[in-house]
Amino acid sequence: MQAWVTDVGAGGTCDLGLSLACESCIDRLFTLGPAGCPIPGCGKNLRKLAFTPQTFEDLGVEKEVAVRRRIAREFNKRREEFRDLRSYNDYLEEVEDITFNLINDIDLPNTEARIQRNRAENTASIELNNQREELYAQSLKEQEDADRREREHRADELRREEETERAEREKGKREIIDKLETSHKDAFKVVAKSRASALKRASARTTSTQTQSNAKLLRSRAAQSTIVPDVPHVPFTDNYSAYEDKFSLKVGGYSDFMSEAVRKDREGIMRGGGYKVEEAWERAIRCGVASLDLPPLSESIDVDILMNPA
Amino acid sequence: MNSAATPVPSHDISTKIPLYEASTQFKHWRHSPEGLSRVRQSQNEVAVAAIRNNLEANEPGSSADVAFLTADEEVLLVRLYIAKITPLCANFRFPEEVEATAMTYLKRFYLKNTVMDWHPKNVMLTAVFLAAKTTNNLISLEVYAKGIPGTMPHNVLDLEFLVAQSLGFEFAVWHAHRALWGIWLDLQNLPGGTLDSAAYDAAMSEIRASRLTDVELIYTPSQIALACLSLVSPALSQQWAASKLTPNGSETSLSLAAVQGVIGDIQKIIKANGAPPSVEAVRDVDRRLRLCQNPEKIVGSKLYLAKQAEAERKAEEKRNKKAESVRKTMEGDPFGSTLPPSKPGLVDYDDDDDDED
Repeated sequence: MQAWVTDVGAGGTCDLGLSLACESCIDRLFTLGPAGCPIPGCGKNLRKLAFTPQTFEDLGVEKEVAVRRRIAREFNKRREEFRDLRSYNDYLEEVEDITFNLINDIDLPNTEARIQRNRAENTASIELNNQREELYAQSLKEQEDADRREREHRADELRREEETERAEREKGKREIIDKLETSHKDAFKVVAKSRASALKRASARTTSTQTQSNAKLLRSRAAQSTIVPDVPHVPFTDNYSAYEDKFSLKVGGYSDFMSEAVRKDREGIMRGGGYKVEEAWERAIRCGVASLDLPPLSESIDVDILMNPA
Repeated sequence: MNSAATPVPSHDISTKIPLYEASTQFKHWRHSPEGLSRVRQSQNEVAVAAIRNNLEANEPGSSADVAFLTADEEVLLVRLYIAKITPLCANFRFPEEVEATAMTYLKRFYLKNTVMDWHPKNVMLTAVFLAAKTTNNLISLEVYAKGIPGTMPHNVLDLEFLVAQSLGFEFAVWHAHRALWGIWLDLQNLPGGTLDSAAYDAAMSEIRASRLTDVELIYTPSQIALACLSLVSPALSQQWAASKLTPNGSETSLSLAAVQGVIGDIQKIIKANGAPPSVEAVRDVDRRLRLCQNPEKIVGSKLYLAKQAEAERKAEEKRNKKAESVRKTMEGDPFGSTLPPSKPGLVDYDDDDDDED
């Protein structure tokens, strides 16, 4: 049973989650124009227009989908309209901010003002992009149609081929029987000869039908999307120095009897978890040079540390 | 939005914090020799005062002729049990890391506690078990307890939280044996600097001796490792140190010569204290410990029983309180009194038929 809800569109929203079972209920309540919400304590003015059929069980999802649909129409700039990836990402973040605000009813007047501002500033671009979007959707649809026709065509082709093959086989059989009836040659030779000619015909047929794969189509579609250069991502920066200036690993590895077993482990059982002997070496050497020049504590500092442990 | 746009700051090498100085070992477990003895002294004094109090409460006048342990005697006893970790770990075929970590734990534990409260025998077993876990060499408690005669799983487990708490849950340890491996590897970068495995083993036995001393509470692992290597191969160690250090020191870094001095100090301590104490010397301490153990913590003593009774009384009180509240809620009708009749609202929600009324 589909319910009708108000949570999504224009014409008022009931905060208490009014949901009506059918269209006739809506007609009954709102046929005379806007009326107060029938839930006691809500009393908001609602219009018939406000009701849409509910798709999702969760009204939150219902609302989010509607908001996103709306925002996607308003904010539709593309990557190509920005100088670099960062400004594009900033734009996406702003859009997501607005969407979040709308979904969660945060600072609505301001958010609506932001949307208005965006519309005022970018009317042309929004229009253009909407048209492009439509064009793209259309071309996608055409592409799909073409694909479907192609598939049907190929299926037809195959069916026809099979039929001709079957007919030829029948014909061959009949020929053999005819020949066996009329000629005086050796029966084995007759059969072999007609078989050979049937084979020749079949192979000629397969080479002539050039089956076009749709791999080519996929390739051409992939080539359309341009490659966007991206700066390398720096995951984590801190203020620690790992004594990189104090040592450098020996090129070609060390002669080390301690790690012999691991390095000679040909099946890689010991290295299964990603163990690299170079990393163990590096850790050891780092430990070997770590704070080698650190002065031992003198009395005055020590008192301090003891007074404020941790 | 704009904050993310700021470029990654490039740090000057001089303002960076060296990794070792970010460790808890540096922050909380590094002392001066004087500071170390002062900590132990004050620990001892506080414990003696508390135990004297408890003994008096147990039996007035009984504390007069008790010879309490001194801080040095406590250290001696702990050292004996540190030395016992080696055969224990060999018994379970634990790697070097477990042994070294357990020894560090035991030393750190007795900077926060006294042997008169917690006998090192049990703490040692717990420290080894805990070290096996923290270094990823874990063993099941049953297997562990079975491998040590006269030990039940609860002996190990009872103290585990106490030990972890005393360590401040700071389980990561920078070890001198790893530093020695690193230096030994790095020697191969020096011209003609390769040392054979025999020299490595000799230096490693010096490292093992150093674990019986306090050096790890005073110096860095790399300094200890260099000192041990220097005992085996002085010339090569000197050459390696010269390649790593500058002739001029500063407030925060030692000069080459100063490091040599530090290494000399470490070697002196290892030579002086690097052997396990003789059992004879410790036997007397252990005998006296039995007389001056904190009666609060000896099973069966008056004070222990009093404390148990107190705890029991509190638990009983809590139970009673709970039972009382449960009884209260169960009294009368479990479904509560009847609700007042609800007022009819604008919409009759019970009306679920479709007729227009």
